[in-house]
Amino acid sequence: MRSKTSYFNPTLFKKNLMRFWPLWGGASLVGALFPLYFLTVLIRERGLWQTEDPLGVTYGYYSVVAYVVPIISLLYAVLCALAVWGWLYNSKSVGMYHALPVTRKGLFVTDFLSGMAMMLIPYAVTGALCVAVSALVRGIDPAGLAVTVLCVLGESLFFFASATLIVFLTGNPFAFAAFYFLFHFFAAGAEWLICQLTTLFYFGVEQYYEGAAEFLSPVIFLGRKVGVNTTSERITTPEGWVESGKIQSVTLANGYLIAVYALVGLVLLAAAWALYRRRRSESAGDVVAVGWMKPVFRYGFALCAAVTGGILLYNLFFYTGSTETARPVPMALCMAAAGVLGYYIASMLLSKSLRVFRGSWKGALGTVLAAAVLCLAAAADPFGVETWVPEAGEIEEAGLDVGYGGHMYVNFTDKAAVEKLLDLHRTILSEEPLLNRRHGESLWTSDYTGSGYLELCYWVNGRRVSRSYRIPFSDGADRLETLKKAEILVTDPAVQEASIFGNLKYYNGEEIASARPIHGCVMEVYNTAAGAFENLDLTAEQAEAVEAALRRDIQAGRVGRTLFLPDEEREQLVYCGGLQLDYSVTIKPGERYPKGGTETRGVSLDLSAYCAETVKALEKAGVLDGTNRLLTQAERDAMTEHTDLGTSGGYYDGESYGYADTVYPGDAYVYPGEMVDAAALH
Amino acid sequence: MIQVTNTIKRFDGFAALDGVSLSVPAGSVYGLVGPNGAGKSTLIRCLTGIYRPDEGELSMDGQSVWENEALKARVAAIADDWYYFPQAGIRDMCKFYRGFYPGFSMERYEKLKEVFEIDEKRPLRRLSKGMQKQAAFWLALSAMPDYLILDEPVDGLDPVMRRQVWSLVLGDVAQRGTTVLVSSHNLRELEDVCDHVGILDHGKVLLERSLAQLQDNMVKLQVVFQDGGGVPGDLEVLHASRVGRIHTLIMRMSAEEAKNRLAVYEPMLVDAVPLTLEEIFIYELGGADYAVKDIVL
Repeated sequence: MRSKTSYFNPTLFKKNLMRFWPLWGGASLVGALFPLYFLTVLIRERGLWQTEDPLGVTYGYYSVVAYVVPIISLLYAVLCALAVWGWLYNSKSVGMYHALPVTRKGLFVTDFLSGMAMMLIPYAVTGALCVAVSALVRGIDPAGLAVTVLCVLGESLFFFASATLIVFLTGNPFAFAAFYFLFHFFAAGAEWLICQLTTLFYFGVEQYYEGAAEFLSPVIFLGRKVGVNTTSERITTPEGWVESGKIQSVTLANGYLIAVYALVGLVLLAAAWALYRRRRSESAGDVVAVGWMKPVFRYGFALCAAVTGGILLYNLFFYTGSTETARPVPMALCMAAAGVLGYYIASMLLSKSLRVFRGSWKGALGTVLAAAVLCLAAAADPFGVETWVPEAGEIEEAGLDVGYGGHMYVNFTDKAAVEKLLDLHRTILSEEPLLNRRHGESLWTSDYTGSGYLELCYWVNGRRVSRSYRIPFSDGADRLETLKKAEILVTDPAVQEASIFGNLKYYNGEEIASARPIHGCVMEVYNTAAGAFENLDLTAEQAEAVEAALRRDIQAGRVGRTLFLPDEEREQLVYCGGLQLDYSVTIKPGERYPKGGTETRGVSLDLSAYCAETVKALEKAGVLDGTNRLLTQAERDAMTEHTDLGTSGGYYDGESYGYADTVYPGDAYVYPGEMVDAAALH
Repeated sequence: MIQVTNTIKRFDGFAALDGVSLSVPAGSVYGLVGPNGAGKSTLIRCLTGIYRPDEGELSMDGQSVWENEALKARVAAIADDWYYFPQAGIRDMCKFYRGFYPGFSMERYEKLKEVFEIDEKRPLRRLSKGMQKQAAFWLALSAMPDYLILDEPVDGLDPVMRRQVWSLVLGDVAQRGTTVLVSSHNLRELEDVCDHVGILDHGKVLLERSLAQLQDNMVKLQVVFQDGGGVPGDLEVLHASRVGRIHTLIMRMSAEEAKNRLAVYEPMLVDAVPLTLEEIFIYELGGADYAVKDIVL
């Protein structure tokens, strides 16, 4: 007959808390410093008689829940788990605990609850003090407080449950810490490794971390997805400006994810219990405590070592810079060598001995073959990653980022321009050997001319795919076909329109209904009488005329022609000054601006000698004449050699001419379709 | 009663217990002896619920030991490597054990304070190995167990304290009918306290008998043959050694039977000497390929 079993042992619970009070006590003390700090700030700066908006306080709580608690819980869970489960890692203590008259279920439940208590006590202390401080300034929002408490509970549960699961996978505290962080960051790390491999193997493919399986790395995922949303009262000023007023509501964006992870925590807890039931007491001290996990660890470790070590070794011994992609055979050798090393390291860790070589040659050989096959298979590009060029019909939007003589970033949808982009892409692929050879040759010669890059972007099925190619500088008879095609693309009127005037399509995400030039400026015009550079303003009418001329130049394909010219030639053609046009834009009524509105927006560009119509318009407007001249870069450099004029001449003070908003290249990323003349920004 | 039936426990394929069966009568003191690596500690860990056997059954009073909280509340064990919390003194450990053992007697604990003169508040880690062992006995005996399982229990204890400890244990056996299973290399120690002995070797029980039975089954004789001759070739002896004219023979039979066999050779002297448990242990294992042939007794 078997007597009743208890699932909770108060003595053990109490003992756990008493033994490790410095841990949760210290954490509570550190946590308590924050509300106390806020209290002193309140007293010092505002006085306690001032009231605080409860929603403002909730905003603070939610910010902590979204951005701080996941990181703290991730780290603190390791310590709590080691405190309550550390006895599993010592055969003496395992013997004592398992000989006690308490079942494993009782130990599991009691230790888990002890650990959770250790997790929550500091939050409770900190939270209670926060609430007390909030109450002092009458800033308590019960709903926000309840959500905060639930979120902290959920996050603590998830992280401690995940630590509990990992505790039972290993029998060694160092391995526990390593496995715990591996568990939380493996998905992100694996994707990063795959990106590295892809970038190495495939010409033009620069795979960046996208977080495809980021949900498996909860700290990163929660940090990116969970946030705080507020809606505020809209106040329209007498001038028609819309300003934010009092906060009307605060919500935790994607807060449900915390609940999802809390549920996942329960699943992890069940898995931990299943592992503990099967766990052998004698596994204390083992790196991997679960039998079936041992080969997974051995070969998983070997695989990761093969990829990371392989990349490292290849870059160390074989990378010459002459080719864009890795050579398969040397890479396979490096991966095989690193894989074998990883295999033996894993074997040593598993057997806790350095004598692992005898009898393990089959595994080592298998690792060598697997690493080599993996490498060669990847290099063979079975999925056609390298040669992929999308169909014109499937492209929703296209983009081009040029860093050559100048810089330009533009997004466009014009079908003819997209065709030109695809043509450029195919040309680059067909010229791959030539591009690589030229790049390699120029790299090791004294007359290294350097290289630029072209990044081609496609939005296909809502996903951005890009290819980036390094293009060596070339001209004359050696001029690459790629550069010719690139020039055709960048002088396309639709591309230049998008590049220069794309900034006038959206304002803060809202569509712009109309844009009218109100002002302009020609930068760094050389005044021959004064012998100095000046910035000359344009009136609205002059700006309008210049804009019309600029559009004619664009239509004639004269803008952008200097982008791929050799340095010397470009310096002869590109003026050192540029053109800026300021617009009054009318914003369509939308969510952000319910009544619409007017704002100012600016565009800017470099001028070159090719922009004949624009220069003529500036002359016609009287801005340029015999006294005020635009100088090319070469002319200016020549002048600088003969005079003491600096490049700025000491006359241009670099002021921004009262622009209401500054245009940054990043704008184009934030609002696809909003095009920025990036060249002018650099 | 402790019953172990066909118990197998493997570690990475190696069978530390290879079909062990033994039975410890209620109220007896059972000595578990065997060479290093025989499986004694493994068997004890299985009996205390630390290890789960791969096969077989371990029971006390007919109840399976594994995950049996109520049964384990009646079992106290002292491991060879007894664990205590690093900062704890005996008093702290006492509080801890009281929460687990319903039968834990503070009265007994207070009484034992007079036997084990150790500062209760002093951290156990600051005590000598022998004093730590005393602390383990103090707590185990205070738990008032029906079963006391001891793994190399008196290692590190001085002779006076050994006697003291055994006296307490045997007192419990006599007064409360406590069943004791004790493993030790100290066979002379066991000889004084055990009434049953099991010899374990290579994960198997070689023999299991009462001490009286064991001693009846093997004999040590001092013999002087006529004309100073050697041991006759047809005489079955486990071990023979000679000092001057005196031969010391160990034979697997009763003393009576051995004397009858020797009578044929008309020895000048035949004298039966009692065998120690250590000698029984050595010669029993000698039969199991244990290299003890050249040991000079």
